[in-house]
Amino acid sequence: MSKRRIFKYSTLALILIWGFFKLLPEREEAAVNSDQEAPSPAKRDVKHVIKFAPGNQYTPGVSLFGMSEPLEGLTKVIRKYEERHPDTRIEVFNVPTVQREYLVTQLSSGAAPDIVKVNVEDVWVDVHKNWYVPLDTFLEQPNPYVVEKGDPDLPGARQWWDMFRYQALTRGKAGPDGKYYCYTLDAVETGIFYNKTLFGQLGLEVPQTMTEFFYVAETIKKNGYIPLIAVLQSYADWGVDLIFDQLYYELLPGIDLVKDPTREAYLQGYLDSEEIAFLHSKGFFTKEDPRFLEKWRLLKQLRQYLAQEMNVRSGQERQFINQQAAMVWLPSTLTYRLVADKNLGFEWGVFYFPMVDEAVSEMASNTPACVIGGAATQFEVTNSAVSDTDPHLPFEERMEQSERLKRVIGFLQFLSLPENAELVTNENPRFIPNIVGVEPLPELEPFEKILERRYTTTKWLNTFDLRFFDVLQRMFALYLEDGATLEELVSWMDDNISASSELFENRKGIDWESLEKRWQELAPAREGMTFLPKPLQENPAL
Amino acid sequence: MRRPRYQNVLLHAILIVLASLTLTPFLFTANNIFRTKKEFDQSFFSFPDAFEGLIKVSALYLTGNDDQVEVVDGFGAKEIVSRDEAFGLYIDYAQQGPSKAWSVLRPFMQNSFLVSICTAIGVCLVGSSTAYILSRYRFIGREMVFLSILSTMMFPAVLTLVPSFLLVKELGLLNSYWAMILPYIASGQVIAIFVFRSFFAGLPEELFESARIDGAGHLGIYLNIILPLSKPVFSVVIIMNVLYTWNQFLWPFIVNTDGSKHVIASGLFIMARSQEAQDFGLMFAAYSISSIPLLVLFIYATRPFMRGITSGALKA
Amino acid sequence: MKQEKFSFTFTCYAIILPTLALLFTFIYLPVGWAFSRSLYDFEIGSESRFVGLGNFREYLFSDPTFWPSMLHMGALTFFLVCVRLTIPLVVAKLIHSLSTEKSRYVYRTIFLAPIVVPGVALQLIWMNLVYSDAGLLNETLRMIGLADFTQGWLTNPDTALLAIMVIGFPFVSGIDVLIYYAGLSSIPEDVNESCALEGCVGIRKFFRIDVPLVLSQLKLILILTIINGLQAFENVYILTEGGPGYETTVPGLWMYYNAFKFQRMGYACAIGVVLFLMILTLTIINIKYFRSAEEVKEGA
Repeated sequence: MSKRRIFKYSTLALILIWGFFKLLPEREEAAVNSDQEAPSPAKRDVKHVIKFAPGNQYTPGVSLFGMSEPLEGLTKVIRKYEERHPDTRIEVFNVPTVQREYLVTQLSSGAAPDIVKVNVEDVWVDVHKNWYVPLDTFLEQPNPYVVEKGDPDLPGARQWWDMFRYQALTRGKAGPDGKYYCYTLDAVETGIFYNKTLFGQLGLEVPQTMTEFFYVAETIKKNGYIPLIAVLQSYADWGVDLIFDQLYYELLPGIDLVKDPTREAYLQGYLDSEEIAFLHSKGFFTKEDPRFLEKWRLLKQLRQYLAQEMNVRSGQERQFINQQAAMVWLPSTLTYRLVADKNLGFEWGVFYFPMVDEAVSEMASNTPACVIGGAATQFEVTNSAVSDTDPHLPFEERMEQSERLKRVIGFLQFLSLPENAELVTNENPRFIPNIVGVEPLPELEPFEKILERRYTTTKWLNTFDLRFFDVLQRMFALYLEDGATLEELVSWMDDNISASSELFENRKGIDWESLEKRWQELAPAREGMTFLPKPLQENPAL
Repeated sequence: MRRPRYQNVLLHAILIVLASLTLTPFLFTANNIFRTKKEFDQSFFSFPDAFEGLIKVSALYLTGNDDQVEVVDGFGAKEIVSRDEAFGLYIDYAQQGPSKAWSVLRPFMQNSFLVSICTAIGVCLVGSSTAYILSRYRFIGREMVFLSILSTMMFPAVLTLVPSFLLVKELGLLNSYWAMILPYIASGQVIAIFVFRSFFAGLPEELFESARIDGAGHLGIYLNIILPLSKPVFSVVIIMNVLYTWNQFLWPFIVNTDGSKHVIASGLFIMARSQEAQDFGLMFAAYSISSIPLLVLFIYATRPFMRGITSGALKA
Repeated sequence: MKQEKFSFTFTCYAIILPTLALLFTFIYLPVGWAFSRSLYDFEIGSESRFVGLGNFREYLFSDPTFWPSMLHMGALTFFLVCVRLTIPLVVAKLIHSLSTEKSRYVYRTIFLAPIVVPGVALQLIWMNLVYSDAGLLNETLRMIGLADFTQGWLTNPDTALLAIMVIGFPFVSGIDVLIYYAGLSSIPEDVNESCALEGCVGIRKFFRIDVPLVLSQLKLILILTIINGLQAFENVYILTEGGPGYETTVPGLWMYYNAFKFQRMGYACAIGVVLFLMILTLTIINIKYFRSAEEVKEGA
């Protein structure tokens, strides 16, 4: 008995000691750090510790698709920057910035990383709270790291702005208040990846129109494959916008009320929140609006060709890789997965969302599908960057005084140098660089082509607040899964737009009068337009 | 009471079926630890390729065959190597998931340990001393105090979730261990006080009397009488508390706004919502690793825990 | 004498001071805040606005998720109550009926073992391993030729709620079995013997002797299950986020979303208060209703 006890407790002691040593920080890490030429952080006289959350796609050490070597591009740039500025250290955090609640708690506590990666549309809701630093003043100034190279003709020597390759796309990310809150490092576009080998076996061509697409999908389905994999969240985002654009594009001359000169270059005819709210009051986007009903109907029609399980949070491409599915609708990031796989076993290609033609819907605008991607990695500078100043001062003054902010902006400027941006974006083929002088990797060529198309007419999910987003995404999902009828969905959407418009009006105000004036001016343009909401159909000037 | 043999067999059969149903998901989890993302893309359920490879190579060793072996790596590239190298490669593949998972989980694990241990110690100290006073002494306002502790049982966690966050934010405790430890002690002590109180109340008064006559103070009584006699109760309280703390994920998820102090549970949740979730092998390894500390606790503490519960520590 | 009494009381309070301080800071203060803030419309970072009972009115009368979420919460809780009051008790009885102490110990250990898996991990394991499109459930169906029945268990509105309930099947792991077992073990041996003599065995004995004697354990688990069931939302949050649509949303989750996603802290507090009142009512009913059972136990 006592022998057993001795055994029992000595094993426990061993486990505890082993666990204790396992838990201690690994030695190797320290070794790697001291390997570098830069003096180790401890030895340097560090004044500013900048926290940086670059998002999943670029966090050093992350292994993409579970197959790549750990990412290190960003680490290299950070090392170079720290070498230049020994008083600054940049710590990288991997926080799930896609989680909205995460962002809210971070920012409200003032403990957010100085630089976060968020889609800028998520930021707009909170800009009036001074949670984010507007970058306009910096973007209009020269980039000091370009200036010191001495060549005044280099992009960035006059304005930091000039360094961005996709000007319209980048400038289009201005907030509703006209300010720029994001730094756009690269661009992304969605595409439908298809199994070329399988298409060949089944004698299928790449579809250009929706009719052709339905034929292709039907053939694939009959042969026992899943035609298309689309993730629910993306389908509610891209799908809804694309079909909306396909149906409403021909109406734009009659319904695009507000022209915004700063964003017009990229967002021609973009319908903003107040326009949506106003059009809604005129009967658009209600059960009276035939195009609105048609939009949901088409999306549901397409649903029958999608994989059964749409709410996949991980491994969406799995069935495409093992050849159970013939197509998958994903961003260009998947390219890397396909290129890296040495025994994929099939040829693949990329095409873009087909055009909705009149054979599929009589309300089709007959225009090629628009772009719905665009800016990919958007870095926002948060209020933590000015945390070294007196919080009672006005925000502008804090921005001027803050030393820390200079370092933070300086890092973004440093990252904009082509030789640095290249290390990050071109580490592998996923994103198209947005810096002049960095060429996209050859594998991404199809996506570069897609990006030349015109931009979408609106982004539904981001039109109003997050509650609007939530209701839209959820009820759409329910409708797709036969949990709600078309009438129920449209009635939810009707209430949703009403409630959100009201909140929007309370919070920011809507200039109904000038919208109404503009609406009357556009009445002639609406003459002869078909499939308008019922009351309008009878009297376009109403 | 003697039972017919067939009845016992039947009992065993039912229990074994139930046990295997309960354990099935965990067995699959254990199997999946050693599989790579690539293998999951090919098929969701199968024996780890690395193990198959290892068995193949071991067979070569056993038969004394020293042929070259073809090894397929994580990217699908094939290479021909000697059997020693193949053995090493397969070992590498098998431990890829666990070692990656560990590198992600290690800081979470440290935090979890720190928070759980501090909370358990705090709850035991605070809970047992309060229970000692409440159960052995009559003083002015005792009923009031007891009632104020009792009534906190009525406040559900959902009621206080939002204001607690605001409070912790006001106190400037966000992103610190205190943001977790203090509220855990505050809520964990309530049940502890109940369990301790009912146990202490059952101890014979003569013990305390004689100790007091010997001139022992509160501390002396606590150390010499309470502690030695209440080991099973302490173990129940500690284990229940560690279980509770270890499983909390929402609160750490909310109060660790910069992500530096995540514990195992919130860390797992974050992993499940990030890029890493695409690597199933990694995720399954993470689930398994997160269970190991409690498994060790379980192996060494089941007996006292069961004894504690069987002695009736938990009753309404 | 008076001074002695004073110092005695003082010492007592000094010892329980940490308890009281923690209680007031981390429980009573937030509770007070919850009540007062529920009357305001505020988001962190902006001015708050007094709205009186507006939040309550909106939640109770015009929030579209109110009735569905209450229904889901009720269904989940009811299911949990039914399951936790029966299956672990039967299993405890089965184990208790085994002939050797060793085998009893082994089974108790086996059924207790799954508690080492953190709750989050358990949910994620079920989500990824059992319910995913290529998961255990669907693959099994395909294997036995019922491919038509495969579905996205957590995304299909008809099955999502059920799928959430069924997690943990067959519901025998955890402490419940142990608690019931403890109750069964405390039944005096002479009661068992006199039963046997009267020919009261098997199922009849189970209902007439065992169940009444574990009533106090049943009551404990009933109260705990109801309180937990009404406020639990973490599992729903991990598994479905309340979707598809609002088909699995529960009030707690809606509160969480309002607070941390939509930034309507006041509204969230109001939902918390409503939940609190419900739990309070149910607990009071519970205590009153089970008074007699309590007396039975004390008599025994």
